[in-house]
Amino acid sequence: MGVMADHRIGTQEEWQAKRDELLTQEKELTRRGDELGRKRRELPWVPVEKDYRFETDEGAKTLADLFDGRSQLLVYHFMFGPPYEAGCPVCSSIADTLDPQVVHLKARDTNLLLASRAPLEKLLAFRERMGWGIDWVSTVGGEFNRDVGFLHTEEELKPFLQGEIPPTVEQNARMCGTDAAGYVTEGPGLSVYALSDGTVYRTYVATARALEPAMAYYGLLDRTPQGRDESATEPLWIRRHDEY
Amino acid sequence: MGEQRIGTRQEWQAARDELANLEAEHAKLGQKATEQRRELPWVAVEKEYEFDTEDGKKTLAELFDGRSQLLAYNIMFGPDYELGACPGCTSLGDGLDGGLVHLNHRDVTLICFSRAPIDRLIAYKERMGWQFPYVSTYNTEFPFDFGLALREEQAQQIPEIKKMIDNPPEWLQDWGRQIGAELKDGLREGPGWIAFARENGTVYHTYTVMAPDPFVAPYFNFLLDRTPKPQPDEPRTFRKDEYPD
Repeated sequence: MGVMADHRIGTQEEWQAKRDELLTQEKELTRRGDELGRKRRELPWVPVEKDYRFETDEGAKTLADLFDGRSQLLVYHFMFGPPYEAGCPVCSSIADTLDPQVVHLKARDTNLLLASRAPLEKLLAFRERMGWGIDWVSTVGGEFNRDVGFLHTEEELKPFLQGEIPPTVEQNARMCGTDAAGYVTEGPGLSVYALSDGTVYRTYVATARALEPAMAYYGLLDRTPQGRDESATEPLWIRRHDEY
Repeated sequence: MGEQRIGTRQEWQAARDELANLEAEHAKLGQKATEQRRELPWVAVEKEYEFDTEDGKKTLAELFDGRSQLLAYNIMFGPDYELGACPGCTSLGDGLDGGLVHLNHRDVTLICFSRAPIDRLIAYKERMGWQFPYVSTYNTEFPFDFGLALREEQAQQIPEIKKMIDNPPEWLQDWGRQIGAELKDGLREGPGWIAFARENGTVYHTYTVMAPDPFVAPYFNFLLDRTPKPQPDEPRTFRKDEYPD
């Protein structure tokens, strides 16, 4: 940083001409995004037959209880496994923006909360440190995460762990007080549910690139002259908001 | 809800995989747009502007607060708004503080502009509990020069706006009541993002995006886009402390 990316200086007219071209692209992006929204809603709903249990600050709850009177539920699977001493920094940066959305979502028949595998006391202590108000539940056992692909077994991780560990993973593991294996056992993701006539349905799951819009700052950086300015060989720049 | 298809895990997975391809394509297209955005020429800002801020008068260069990039959201809050800013813009504003410290560490200063006088912005910011710097463009040419607001006569000349003023749909009438302004004044503010760069003492305008681009929307739209039930066609938006239940 410090040195700005290559750029051209131009006149207002030159800018406007290029901006108009870009607008065509952006409109196409919008059109396709709307289409994606429709297609997401066409996914079949899958009844959740397992009786998952959660520890919450109001005692034990079922998945249906987590809707809190709404008919839609969004769960952000926050990487915070039992061996972690603190939550994943990237998940923390996402939660910074999720937290103030809850009030707006609740008014739209939707609850949003965080779920992790670490014991509840650890989650709540970290939530207090971060200053968030969003509900955070601890999964009882690993099945809730495992069933949506956000909990990996040693066997599955072996090829990854035997290869060269990316510097970002090493760094995040260190920041979480665990090792690479402990860190990547957990996976980040969003799972979405509907409650209808007493039955809970799983409707949508997203991880990896499909989760990128959750990182609000990336959308914002994509509108700045310098952009994300990240490199594949350097560890990620993201820190918990109190650790820069 | 009645037509909702119930499926097996396998059926869901097959449909999900197909959708994943489309999502990946969309992400790629998004990346292309971002690259194209970065190729926009920078346009030097030659006019001097002076803004009212929480810390007194500042020039555009001073708004960078020592960083080399300035990203600003223009909240619809005109001088005639008696009851506060546009509720939609306010909801967008609620999502900004979460990114503030992260962006600040990427050499980006994130702020909001509005055209109402600074004392009203400060009071509104306090009411909403926001942290980001809030800057008033009151009595400056800035919002008009950069397409963030329309002068009265300009608004009259835009057929879409004139139509909305003369024949407002119900949701727009409600919106007018929420902001406490007549639509002919309320609709003169433009919701949008604007970006600037600062290099060797010169400020450059680099990018502007205005509604209805989906980037000019509250963050929770991204989440609602992933929920099973569609939102109403004309959803009402409320400030977080004014939800009706």
